[in-house]
Amino acid sequence: MDELKVMAKALKMSFHARMQYKADSIVATLAVFFRESTGIIVIYLTLMKFDTLGDWNINELLFLYSILFLTYSAVVVLFADLRDFSRMIREGRFDRLMLTPRGLLIQLISNNADVIAAFGHGGLGVLLFIVSASRVGITWNFTTTIYYISAIIGGILIQGGMFVFFSSLSFYFVETNSLRDIFYWQMRRFAGYPISIFGKFFQTIMIYVVPFAFVNYFPAQYLLRKSDLAQYPELYIYVAPLVGVVLYTAAYLFWRISVKNYKSTGN
Amino acid sequence: MRAYAEFAVKKFRNQTAYRMDCFMGILKTIFSFIVYFSIYKALYGGRSDVDGITLNMVVTNFIISLGLSNAFDFNEMFLPDKISWGEISNELLKPVSFRLRLLSEHIGESIFKLVFNFVPSLIFAAFTIGMMPPSSAINMLLMAISAVMGYLILWELSFIVQTWSFWLFSVWGIIVMKNVLVNIMTGAMIPLWFMPSMLRGIISFTPFESVYFTPVRLYLGQISGSEIAVCMINQAVWIVVLFVIGDIFWKKGTKKLVVQGG
Repeated sequence: MDELKVMAKALKMSFHARMQYKADSIVATLAVFFRESTGIIVIYLTLMKFDTLGDWNINELLFLYSILFLTYSAVVVLFADLRDFSRMIREGRFDRLMLTPRGLLIQLISNNADVIAAFGHGGLGVLLFIVSASRVGITWNFTTTIYYISAIIGGILIQGGMFVFFSSLSFYFVETNSLRDIFYWQMRRFAGYPISIFGKFFQTIMIYVVPFAFVNYFPAQYLLRKSDLAQYPELYIYVAPLVGVVLYTAAYLFWRISVKNYKSTGN
Repeated sequence: MRAYAEFAVKKFRNQTAYRMDCFMGILKTIFSFIVYFSIYKALYGGRSDVDGITLNMVVTNFIISLGLSNAFDFNEMFLPDKISWGEISNELLKPVSFRLRLLSEHIGESIFKLVFNFVPSLIFAAFTIGMMPPSSAINMLLMAISAVMGYLILWELSFIVQTWSFWLFSVWGIIVMKNVLVNIMTGAMIPLWFMPSMLRGIISFTPFESVYFTPVRLYLGQISGSEIAVCMINQAVWIVVLFVIGDIFWKKGTKKLVVQGG
């Protein structure tokens, strides 16, 4: 419980720090919102011409996209320090945390929350959800609602777990940004679309290596049941919310082992 | 003139120091090709053409426009940062034109990226995804000239927005918004053939169309005869118009700066 209090406090602090420059933060949030909308506008205009992408119509695609934005907005609140972790190591700021009487990871989580990205991505996610959710034929009942919420939490944990994993690598290598860029940021560009449109190689990566498919594709498929689901074991749509728990736990254990390896870059 | 060539060469050499960045850049370009190729393959769903445009033409359009847009990418916060840190006054005292220096440096950087990002990605794409050859050697040459003009248009658009930092506290947000417009309207992310006709009409009155789409159409041999001249003159006119606008902002901005600093 104490840990939760620390997290809440850290969140409040990063929010206040951001709001020091109100006008600037609002403009920046809008800029993030519009930058992220680019892909959405493009897919919308494209489908005005082509109607469907595989079996998916525009509302279904927007619903798929919305999960990606919603989860990411929580990820940048909780895991912002881990996203930029290699810089923290390089600058020796990590050493300071080792001197305080709290768990290391808990001090990083929810610290320095990227409020601007959170509102930019989150705002877009909410907007897309409102626009699409009622038009894709989902019956919202107890089961689907519970599934949806756990899938969102699962998606947050998958991406958080990836950040924890890449941060742990910083204890072994000085430069890990390139690795993270390929495996997180570049693969994320594929995640906005149904994975079935990609070649087998990228499908395999999206399911088994960088499991973005479990962040939005399989959860969306549980609710939408588009025909391309037949290519994959049906089990995947049921276990999707659990993948995050497993992945995050594994990443956490890896962090515990790796942190023992830490040698400061400082002098 | 030699001094500016030197700026470009220096920037070019500078880039060779970041080998990992270069490799990542190639990967990024190739990944964007793959994403758009996969999307359009699914959109076409086996059809040989849509409105007379084949999948191969679409792919060629993406390889040229996305490839060039990655190569033409440069740090747009250079001037705004110089202004907000106050370094601009030192820059203006130097016996070289700041604007020309900026342009030469960006050209140096872009030539590097053309050689070490665009060309490798293009070769990869040609062998894996498939790309149409230029419709003739002359078309290839025209496309190259037109791409250079497209670059200048893009650069001037960016320069205009950058000069606004003389008046505004932060232009980062405006630069982001400008790039949203550029990415959509130039056809880098959706081929202009498939743009809804009303929007397409609007775009034809803007400089965006001639950034990548004119080079692409020249490459594919979609423009012929006197229309080639019309398209390229259109590009040239935009270069002049945007230069004049940029010049006005730059002169007003630097004048204001002197007043403030005095």
